[in-house]
Amino acid sequence: MRVTGFIPAELQVLAVAVLASFLLWVFRLVRTQRLSLGDSLLWVVSTLVAVVLAVFPGTLFWVSSFLGFKTPSNALLAAAVLYLAVNVLFNTVASSVNAARLRRLTQECALLRAEVEALRARDRADLPP
Amino acid sequence: MRVLAIVPAYNEERSLASVVAGARRAMPEMDVCVVDDGSTDGTAELARGLGVTLLRNPLNLGIGGAVQAGYLWARDHGYDAAVQLDGDGQHDPSFLPALLAPLAEGKAGLVVGSRFASGHEGFRSTWVRRMGIRYLSWLLWLRCGTRTSDPTSGFRAAGRPAIELFAKAYPPDYPEPESIAIAARQGIAVAEVPVVMAGRMHGKSSITPLRTLYYLVKVSLALALLPVPLLPLGEESRVGT
Repeated sequence: MRVTGFIPAELQVLAVAVLASFLLWVFRLVRTQRLSLGDSLLWVVSTLVAVVLAVFPGTLFWVSSFLGFKTPSNALLAAAVLYLAVNVLFNTVASSVNAARLRRLTQECALLRAEVEALRARDRADLPP
Repeated sequence: MRVLAIVPAYNEERSLASVVAGARRAMPEMDVCVVDDGSTDGTAELARGLGVTLLRNPLNLGIGGAVQAGYLWARDHGYDAAVQLDGDGQHDPSFLPALLAPLAEGKAGLVVGSRFASGHEGFRSTWVRRMGIRYLSWLLWLRCGTRTSDPTSGFRAAGRPAIELFAKAYPPDYPEPESIAIAARQGIAVAEVPVVMAGRMHGKSSITPLRTLYYLVKVSLALALLPVPLLPLGEESRVGT
């Protein structure tokens, strides 16, 4: 099979448009402070990689034939699935850490509540009637 | 020896008063700390009237997080020993002196009350669960060389080193077998004394066959994947254990 490195221009335009709107969405999330800048980097970088592939599809054709994929789309899908899986794993890790922090904060809160109540009780006992 | 009873309670307004009264009868000099784990019933109000130390978790953390709150209190207030006593009344407080004896004699740092260590009758659950418990006790022996006949028992006494350990690292859910492993690996001697447990006084046990299976899988995994380094001394565990 001949490796052409060519995809229809319409498809390229569509891909770039979709990726650009995705990028804008991510930027918006950062600017409205719903996504931290650090956490956005992963998405920004991966989207930019996708933009490069859409503009220069030859790169994808070359890489996939080098790795022995029958069609470039298979290589792309495999890479995307792997990327998403790793992403989800990182998210799960973050959520575990957050759960532990939340647990500790909750306990800390319970301890402080008890201390405050003890202090208040002592206060009431100290005050003349 | 200053002893704190840690009584985790989630919606236990019907049994809590008698549990606390029983604990005081058994050991009048012992302080009682009720951990209200985000109950939605009158547990907190009831506990306040009992004159105990009341730790109120603003969120429901589950048994591990609730018990650990008690260990944090015990650590911060200099208790020499802490006993765990379920708020649902399945643990008979008259066994508390026996549970604390190995600690006082310096023979152990963690004492587990076992339903299977003697010929006593009492609540022993179904044979499927007994098989599961036997398997866990074998796995625990395999992983850290500790012989405990009832690793799922939540009726236990912890000495000062175990209090400090559990305040730092305690499994958030299904904590009983894993916490024995953590303590044993930390060099804390684990002993067991025979106890008799009652069934629940009120309410329904949350144990179903599917949950039992999930429990066994989860605890097996926990024992297979014990944290390394076991306890970064002076450092908090990052995700619980």
